Amino acid sequence: MLNRKYVFMMMALIMTAVVLVACGGGDEEPQNEEQPEGTAGQGGEDAGEVNIYTSRHYDIDDEIYADFTEETGIEVNIINGAADELIERMNREGEASEADLFYTADAGRLHRAKDQGLLQSIESDIINENVPENMRDRDSEWVGLTQRARIIAYHKDRVDPEELSTYEALTEPEWEGRVLMRSSENVYNQSLLASFIELHGREEAKDWAEGIYNNLARSPQGGDRDQARAVVAGEGDVAIMNTYYLGGMLNSPDDEEVNVAEQLGIFFPNQETTGTHINVSGVGLAENAPNPENAVKLIEYLTTEEVQETFAAANYEYPVNPNVEAASTIQEWGEFDSQDINLSILGENSAEATLIFNEVGFE
Amino acid sequence: MKWFRSLKTTMNLWTVFSVIFVLLVLLPNLSIIVQFFAEPNENWLHIREYMLQNYIQNTLILVFFVGILTLFIGTSLAWIISAYDFPMRRFFQWGMILPLAIPPYIGAYTYHGILNYTGVIQTSLRNQFDVTVNQQYFNIMNMPGAIFILTIFLFPYVYTITKAFLARQSTALVENARILGSSSWRIYFRVVLPISRAAIIAGVSLVILEVLNDYGVVSYYGIQTFTTAIFQTWFGMGDLQSAVKLSGTLMVIVLGILVVERIARGRRQFSFTTTKVKLLQPVKLEGRKKWYAFSFCMFIFSIGFIIPVIQLIYWATMTYEQLFSHDFWQLIWNSVSVAFTASTIIVIMAVVISNFARLNRGMLAKTFPKITILGYSIPGAVIAVGVVTLFTALDRQLFGFYEWLGLEPTLLISTSLFMLVFAYVIRYLAVGYNSIESGFDRIGTNFTEASRMLGMSVTKSFFKVDMKLIRGAIFGGFILAFIDIMKELPLTLILRPFNFDTLATKAYQYAVDEMIQQAAIPSIFIILVSGIAIYVFHHVLEKE
Repeated sequence: MLNRKYVFMMMALIMTAVVLVACGGGDEEPQNEEQPEGTAGQGGEDAGEVNIYTSRHYDIDDEIYADFTEETGIEVNIINGAADELIERMNREGEASEADLFYTADAGRLHRAKDQGLLQSIESDIINENVPENMRDRDSEWVGLTQRARIIAYHKDRVDPEELSTYEALTEPEWEGRVLMRSSENVYNQSLLASFIELHGREEAKDWAEGIYNNLARSPQGGDRDQARAVVAGEGDVAIMNTYYLGGMLNSPDDEEVNVAEQLGIFFPNQETTGTHINVSGVGLAENAPNPENAVKLIEYLTTEEVQETFAAANYEYPVNPNVEAASTIQEWGEFDSQDINLSILGENSAEATLIFNEVGFE
Repeated sequence: MKWFRSLKTTMNLWTVFSVIFVLLVLLPNLSIIVQFFAEPNENWLHIREYMLQNYIQNTLILVFFVGILTLFIGTSLAWIISAYDFPMRRFFQWGMILPLAIPPYIGAYTYHGILNYTGVIQTSLRNQFDVTVNQQYFNIMNMPGAIFILTIFLFPYVYTITKAFLARQSTALVENARILGSSSWRIYFRVVLPISRAAIIAGVSLVILEVLNDYGVVSYYGIQTFTTAIFQTWFGMGDLQSAVKLSGTLMVIVLGILVVERIARGRRQFSFTTTKVKLLQPVKLEGRKKWYAFSFCMFIFSIGFIIPVIQLIYWATMTYEQLFSHDFWQLIWNSVSVAFTASTIIVIMAVVISNFARLNRGMLAKTFPKITILGYSIPGAVIAVGVVTLFTALDRQLFGFYEWLGLEPTLLISTSLFMLVFAYVIRYLAVGYNSIESGFDRIGTNFTEASRMLGMSVTKSFFKVDMKLIRGAIFGGFILAFIDIMKELPLTLILRPFNFDTLATKAYQYAVDEMIQQAAIPSIFIILVSGIAIYVFHHVLEKE
């Protein structure tokens, strides 16, 4: 008897699976049928949609997209993923790709998408007015939306900010065993070194990578927040990290993280020389975008003053729109001069930067 | 001609389906295999000069230690729990599978969160006792740390497969050894380990493949392995071709290991055929001994499950508002439905292929099992590329058909869940396959042959005889695949349709931004769902 029961169970299992597959297909198809109809078929009455491939994943993004839909009636569809995987997916999909926008948190990646012919230029006076030129691609194929600085965080008791000056100074012997930085696999470090290649040439950039590596307090590990913890724990005295991680820690639900962040000071390096390294999170218009007008509308919306304010503040970033003031947490850190280079360069030099890191053995 | 004749004699539905399934697995991998033979470019030379040696070394260290440790922890637990009776044994029987419910990268973040400067241990020491410790002692982000994490969250693979074997098949040998007066240790080393070799190898090779593919743990802990090299090449240098070449190398190494294992096993058979399956009767432990056994199990269970789960729950209390802002029912439904569908398909395919492979001789029957491993030996993100290529090409072929149906020429299949489920099947076929194969392995072919002699067809024999004997293995394979898919990341991230989120993608989106507190709630749901699956699995087996 048991055996019959068992066979019955297996059959039930298989049936359920078949039904599920069928349902899965069934659920899917109408959704997909709607997409082309929505855009091409009845464009007049229906405001249509816009499809985003994004590697950003903050809750605020969803809220802002929802506001956009409410205001314009345009539906926003999202696929999240790692930037390079999304680039590859767009590549493989080719002309048939349904992506309208490619959104990621690093200028280097945006450039890579452009380089592979995945983007087209964005023509909009509103965007050109809202976003300064150096935060837009030279051919307007992508636009920065929020910016962040890669700064030196120091321990308020152990380090006098007077001792700090530039990124380069951290390679001096007096900083031996005191510097913390995460792995060179991280894209923010690759972009940082890419900017040095532009400003000082390959040789000096390589010397810098080697010098920092020799001065590290420990072998690179963990994320940016871990570097901050290590400074407070006394493993090192200064950390090279992005501003918004400190913002996140200062507003963390975990009191201990707040405690750590409060013991750190922020120093904007290279103020007398080349300026502090900045990077953007930005968006590119896909070459084969099925809904380019809606896509441009969304970018315009994201650069407006009202949206920029909440958008940047939610993740403790700086707005790109110069008419918008930064959030209060960020304002307290003070103003700074940034590197005067077009951010496209970060992408152009990023492969070279990876090679240099490997050559000097920076893990 | 000879080959053709042998094909004709083995031709039946099982063969046909096996060939179709294997081709399905091979197709998306083709674009990867082709790249493997591409001319080496400049980046490849750079990789070889600066990275490869160190990366291979680290990978070997990691694989070796995790392999050995999971072997001993998994088999010793399986032995103690099957052969002895002690407090909470009934719970440990299935409780020991629970660590598998925790995705290793979440475990890595969690243990780091417990031990780091802002973690609960150091914080209490500092705030209550005013003790600040040397960070080195609490640093888990290194090679031993990674070995620890991967061991503690992967050993259940060895445990489940070995235990299923011991409970049903080892009775005669173990009881003889007991009668002959062997000590427990002696039986473990001299009887248990040798006779469960097939099961152990099945379990350990799953662990090794998981380790080779792990990116989450090693990249967070800053350990450079083969997988890091693959992603460094792809993401850092933007060179997918060299990355694929590296994956190809990895695939060759894995296949090499498997071939060596087959040769080592040689012709020796490890199946016993008796007319009745006699369950191993646990011996009741008394006095101090029973507490030793209990403590050992409790210790492993605590570090593998209780401690990380408590930490996650603590974090969840900090961010509970999230429960109201996300639709967790939807996330759970998404996760469960795709995992369930994919695991069912995996089990069916695995049964067909392994039944074909064991009943036939010849090239096809020998090659097929190795091909099922293919997907498991390549990092998920690389498979994703192969799958997207395949489905986009398929959609292009179908453009005409779509137009005829009145649809815009567009990507129908490659923007549907079908692609994701397909990718899961390719990726995790090996998990189902290994479990079912070792099930077939231990029943041997005697029953089947008897049934065939009595005039039943292969198909009839399967449903009337074989399936009843290996149902445990089938369920085991299903559950392992299900849990793996619940935790899966790179495939889900890149291949999902628009607006489709799962628990794993939600947990990832926070963890990757170092917002571990916010990642806690989706992680807990993953553990809960997988935990229930494990419990149901155990319950069903128990009832038999």
